[in-house]
Amino acid sequence: MTGDDQWYEAAFVVGITNALNVVADGLAPTLPPLDAAAAGPEAAAVFAEARAFYGAADVPAPLAVVARDPAYLADLWGAVKRAFSERRLTRRHKTALAFAVSLTTRSTFGTAFHLADLRRLGVSESGVMEIVGVTQMFSSYTKIADTLQLTSDMADIAPADPSGVPDAGAG
Amino acid sequence: MPTVRLRDASEYPEPARRLFELSKRWFDYDFKEPPAMSRVMAWDPHFGGPHGRAMKRAMAPGEFSRGEKEMVAAAVSGANACTY
Repeated sequence: MTGDDQWYEAAFVVGITNALNVVADGLAPTLPPLDAAAAGPEAAAVFAEARAFYGAADVPAPLAVVARDPAYLADLWGAVKRAFSERRLTRRHKTALAFAVSLTTRSTFGTAFHLADLRRLGVSESGVMEIVGVTQMFSSYTKIADTLQLTSDMADIAPADPSGVPDAGAG
Repeated sequence: MPTVRLRDASEYPEPARRLFELSKRWFDYDFKEPPAMSRVMAWDPHFGGPHGRAMKRAMAPGEFSRGEKEMVAAAVSGANACTY
């Protein structure tokens, strides 16, 4: 494991969270989630795994929507499960990231889903408010910076990057 | 290119310069000039003061560590497509 591992993990959580949210928020109202009986045995096996992973009675809506294509569902679930599994980052931290990104992108599904999961993982209301505070403050900070078109001067405080990839914010 | 002229630290009144010192300690880094956002917030202490205190309160370690919160902040900034 290198120092970048945790950032790759975070990026995958953010990406796959957005993927689930776009289907849940944008598609579920017009293409309803399927139940296990309608989805067939291959999808039902994924549903069972997802229910166990989230300790929930219901299958997350975006998975049940894409169950119309069981092979696609299985691959999507493989990515979701891998992204949220505890490795360098804890499951709790990954769920906090997913909650923050869902809130930032105004995902009704994602915000409610990951909030429930945070609570299930033992995060208190105070802990939830910590993530709400960070999300809200950085939603303010970023818009102020963008309105004034500031260039980053924070890259200086990061460790030296030996990759040689140009950093627009450096200096 | 910023849409405003960012003043140097020396152009700010003494109370703001004291805040820049606190900012340096918060980031544990000796910037040549205070970070651009610190200088922007110091432009109006009646906004920047409470905003900064709310930010510091939000980022303080609690159930989540400062490091975990910095990563959440990075993800939120990414979702907002902010390069700053």
